[in-house]
Amino acid sequence: MPTSSNAATDVADSAAPQPVRSLADDIRGRTDDELRELLQRRPDLARPAPADLTSLAARASTRASVHRALDSLDRAHLQVLEVAALQLGALDEGLLLTHLGGPDEHSDGPSGEPGMGDRVRGLLHSLWSSALLWRGADGLHVTRTAVEALGPHIAGLGPAAAEVRGTTPAALADPARLDALLASAPEPARAILDRLTWGPPLAVPPTHGAAGKVAEGARWLLTEGLLLAVSADQVVLPREVGLRLRGGRLHRDLLLGPPAVQGRSHDAPVVDSAAGQQVSDLLVLVDELAAEWGPRPPRVLRAGGLAVRDLRRLAQVLDVPERRAAFVAEVALDAGLVGDDGSLEPVWAPTPAYDDWQQLPGASRWARLAQAWLVSTRASHLVGGTPPGGSGTVNALGPDVSWPPARGLRRDVLGELERLPEGTAPERESVVQALRWRRPRRLPPTVDAVVAAVAEEAEWLGVTGRGALSHAGRALLADADADRLAAAMHAHLPAPVEHVLLQADLTAIAPGPLEGGLAQFMRLVADVESRGGATVYRFTPDSVRRCLDAGWSVDQVLAALTDASHTPLPQPLDYLVRDVARRHGQTRVGSVGSYVRCDDEATLTAMLADRALSPLQLRKIAPTVLVSPVGAPTALDFLRDAGYAPAAESAEGGLLVPTTGHHRTPPRRSQPTPTIHTVDDDLARTLVGALRAGEEAAAYQRAELASRPGPPLPSTDPTTTLAVLREAAADRQGVWIGYSDAAGGVQRMLFYPERVEGGRVHGTADGTARTLSIHRVTGASAN
Amino acid sequence: MPDGPLIVQSDKTLLLEVDHPRAEEARRAIAPFAELERAPEHMHTYRVTPLGLWNARAAGHDAEQVVNALITYSRYAVPHALLVDVADTMDRYGRLTLEKDDEHGLVLRTTDRPVLEEVLRHKKIKPLVGDRIDDDRVVVHPSERGHLKQELLKVGWPAEDEAGYVDGEAHRIDLDQDGWSLRPYQQQAVDGFWHGGSGVVVLPCGAGKTLVGAGAMAQAKATTLILVTNTVSARQWRDELVKRTSLTADEIGEYSGARKEVRPVTIATYQVLTTKRKGAYTHLDLLDARDWGLIVYDEVHLLPAPIFRMTADLQARRRLGLTATLVREDGREADVFSLIGPKRYDAPWKDIEAQGYIAPADCVEVRVTLPNSERLAYATAEAEDRYRLASCTPAKNPVIERIVKRHQGEPTLVIGQYLDQLDELAGRLGAQVITGQTSVTERQKLFQAFRTGEIDLLVVSKVANFSIDLPEASVAIQVSGTFGSRQEEAQRLGRVLRPKGDGRTAHFYTVVSRDTVDAEFAAHRQRFLAEQGYAYRIIDADDLT
Repeated sequence: MPTSSNAATDVADSAAPQPVRSLADDIRGRTDDELRELLQRRPDLARPAPADLTSLAARASTRASVHRALDSLDRAHLQVLEVAALQLGALDEGLLLTHLGGPDEHSDGPSGEPGMGDRVRGLLHSLWSSALLWRGADGLHVTRTAVEALGPHIAGLGPAAAEVRGTTPAALADPARLDALLASAPEPARAILDRLTWGPPLAVPPTHGAAGKVAEGARWLLTEGLLLAVSADQVVLPREVGLRLRGGRLHRDLLLGPPAVQGRSHDAPVVDSAAGQQVSDLLVLVDELAAEWGPRPPRVLRAGGLAVRDLRRLAQVLDVPERRAAFVAEVALDAGLVGDDGSLEPVWAPTPAYDDWQQLPGASRWARLAQAWLVSTRASHLVGGTPPGGSGTVNALGPDVSWPPARGLRRDVLGELERLPEGTAPERESVVQALRWRRPRRLPPTVDAVVAAVAEEAEWLGVTGRGALSHAGRALLADADADRLAAAMHAHLPAPVEHVLLQADLTAIAPGPLEGGLAQFMRLVADVESRGGATVYRFTPDSVRRCLDAGWSVDQVLAALTDASHTPLPQPLDYLVRDVARRHGQTRVGSVGSYVRCDDEATLTAMLADRALSPLQLRKIAPTVLVSPVGAPTALDFLRDAGYAPAAESAEGGLLVPTTGHHRTPPRRSQPTPTIHTVDDDLARTLVGALRAGEEAAAYQRAELASRPGPPLPSTDPTTTLAVLREAAADRQGVWIGYSDAAGGVQRMLFYPERVEGGRVHGTADGTARTLSIHRVTGASAN
Repeated sequence: MPDGPLIVQSDKTLLLEVDHPRAEEARRAIAPFAELERAPEHMHTYRVTPLGLWNARAAGHDAEQVVNALITYSRYAVPHALLVDVADTMDRYGRLTLEKDDEHGLVLRTTDRPVLEEVLRHKKIKPLVGDRIDDDRVVVHPSERGHLKQELLKVGWPAEDEAGYVDGEAHRIDLDQDGWSLRPYQQQAVDGFWHGGSGVVVLPCGAGKTLVGAGAMAQAKATTLILVTNTVSARQWRDELVKRTSLTADEIGEYSGARKEVRPVTIATYQVLTTKRKGAYTHLDLLDARDWGLIVYDEVHLLPAPIFRMTADLQARRRLGLTATLVREDGREADVFSLIGPKRYDAPWKDIEAQGYIAPADCVEVRVTLPNSERLAYATAEAEDRYRLASCTPAKNPVIERIVKRHQGEPTLVIGQYLDQLDELAGRLGAQVITGQTSVTERQKLFQAFRTGEIDLLVVSKVANFSIDLPEASVAIQVSGTFGSRQEEAQRLGRVLRPKGDGRTAHFYTVVSRDTVDAEFAAHRQRFLAEQGYAYRIIDADDLT
């Protein structure tokens, strides 16, 4: 292999015995510990396990992996990397510090902390550990893929003049001349520069003959070479000018440390008890959801999810806003407590797991919900919004609620809370700022909404109380097991009560959370009127009737109420229950298939006794009326067979004369008859011709292949191919590649790659510029 | 606190466990901002509403006190959102202030410019204000002081009225506390009102609201206009004032259908004020006839809509509202707040009863079964006739007779809605009837006879609902009512709740027809009474011994 592309700066490395000239060389030279650290920092490199260090290096320099690595950087690392990416070749630390802006009032951190140089060195080392930098004999280099991944305008800075023009104009090369030139800029030109200084560095040039101050200013800038035309309709502020305008530094604000998070402080017991209260509410809501959906399951929409109307209904039943109802449903889904029953007409219903869950103590029930929520990829706050790139609304429990970034963001938001001192409830904007620092590249544009949603959900779930992380919440983030979690929450849950207060105004109040059977009974026999620390139930004739309908007898109801109350049953309640029971079941409704009526009771008695009629299952409901579950025509047949002379009766009570018409059916539609295809002489001749031509083409291709020049080409996997091409591009070397053409044949060619991007490689072959798709390159081998 | 007496619900109701040792303490802490909604035996329910919170602000309480009271007495953690909401709501009060400016007269001033901008853009508010003085102030037409307050309340930015009051024409009035004195709660009510400037005092029937009025007059020492519901009530006010204050009969005028006297203290009926002739209110001059220093509204919850409109123009005078309940069937609580003033004193009935100032009551609902023929008639009747059919059933008559007999010798009132039913009952019971057609003289004669014990049974129509004073009625039998009105129930119960000389239990019977709308309406009233904390029983007519 020849020397690296940065020959100008690479003077020293030819002297080294085993020169490190690439990331691959660097990685091959790392110790086991360093490799372990690399794999931990960039977990995507480890799966599937790379075969050797070369393929590890190749994988580490793929675009996708580098993007992932960049996305996980915080702003400090990113800023240092951006500054480093301005330099070609080995990094000059002095220049780096200058571009960073040096230790001035913008550098945060009180005195006594490591100095600027040490901090930057620390950040550089960490970037090196992540294989975004590699260390050559001459110092650190930024990997090529990382520079590419940072985009054409690093931190809003334009390209160097040399990249646009080929050479650097003298005026730009000399800082003193540049300053003088900038100082002489007329006002409109100055305004344009001010607009472009902090990026984006692109602008639209004035059209020919355009008048006005702005056009004049632009023309002046173009004439002086302070703006360069990159195309007919775009001009760019060259890097040299940009940096000068920025005072030599790349970033407006250097943020090497996380921003301080503002917040209020609460006492730990207040936080925990607020969290406990929320948990108690949530458990009740889940139970009520199950109680609602058990008997009346809402149907699953064809596209999956819960209909808007059903969600509204759920919100009504739970007496919470729809957002919260959606959250309760989603958490229940995450925890596997409700599900799509998968039947022909699918419905949402509680799962058997719900029944097991319900038997657990409160804290354990919470632990299950919280763990499911933490790792869920569903974002319930999207419910009710518009699906991305779609129309309509996002339905709760539907596929559109699934949003994989939710999990990472949730962790990130809670992570910010976790870093704060105990009991601190941060302000939302402050958390957003901290996240912007922590994950500058990974935040979605909706970050404000996401932070708000996570904060709200964490509150509903008791992971936070009053906005601060509860002890149980901390345990959750520490990935404690379910038992430890439950133990952390247990003490803060309001103690369950086992009695209710019955009052003469026909209300019952459970002065705390009710558990198990009593809760179910109360929900059955009374309507919930208000919820919170206590539950207020109201007895109405309807609610009592509902209980009687469910099979309770009046004595059972009264006994259960007496048992549940410390005080005697109020007389009006006792009266209400008895009054409803008095009327309950007074009238009976049933369905029958047919009836038999006869004024002569003796005939009916005889029918009842007649064994031949036993299949009719006749039953006497009045002295002169028998009923049967069997339909009237069958009943008539049986009765006639048994020797009676029944007549059919119409719905109006008149005699029904059977119609004696003969049945007719509409004609059947004729089935299409299959036709038989044969091969005639013409077709056979065409086919044979084509076969012959194909055979000849294959033979020619084989001969062609055999006559090709160059080394044998093994087929290589895409990551290796990419690495080979990249290195070749950097070293300006040719490679032999196999390239499958449009017809499916493989061409061999000596290819000089120039750059690799977007799945394509640009370069020259046989003196002509070619752009090849990487996926068509069957193999590559260095020349 | 883990075992406090208060439980905060998510719908902003507060449950107070009355048997808790700290219940009384907690009640006092929440009373300024929470409205007592129900007071059954174990748990009282208070509701936190914006009006209530603003009432508290008007009384000088701040959000911190409210939040503190909730947190201190709550058994469980209070939802944070609720606390934030409380603070936000209370914060809305006082951003706008009505005040007097020497140069510009009445002005609306804000401490928060965006709020002023917001309300001035409102199309109903725009015409009520004049020129902008500066960024923070705008001139208010003095005549629109009341309307402006009403509209501002509607848009959720209630104005604090600090524009003050005219003193009115001075007139010496003293309480004549000879052998009696204001009860402690009456004194508190007077003080609360006086310090607040204008407002409403809520006291149960029979708790001596007239004396609170007299106390307020003695504080104001100015000419006073008293607005009452009817003539009988006007005369009772006059008698009471003559008895309890330094005022003589000559100083008190009656302005009613019968007489039109304007004296330093004038008692007028709502009816005469709202009488229209040729589309105009003919007696409005009364309001300006003297330079009144105080206006007293008796039974504020019955204040008719025209009086509200007139009151809107009287904002410069001190106003005292007296009532047993702030609940209005027409839902105009907000008008009471903005036009008469915030609540200045409130005591739950049960508490006053416990202090021995009103008689304990035994409420019984007696259910009568309709005979089959009537059930059939009822089932086929038109919906609008059903109530009358059910409530006037003759089946009630023997039951009523039995109850009357049971309490023979005790002063008993039979109260009903339908005149023919009342006439028939009066005939059967051998008692006199008082209806709207009975003349005032006749009415007063009968009341007097009833008061002295000469007769112990009266049959009355709904004219008796308001403000007649029957000190010794200890049994009331309700045979029909106005479709389950809560307010009416409060009034009727008030008939029997006056303190009894011998501390007897009062009895309140309601006779209803089983399985009919009559019983359904009764259920509403029953709920109301139970919520007020009265023991309530339902018995079948057959079980009546």
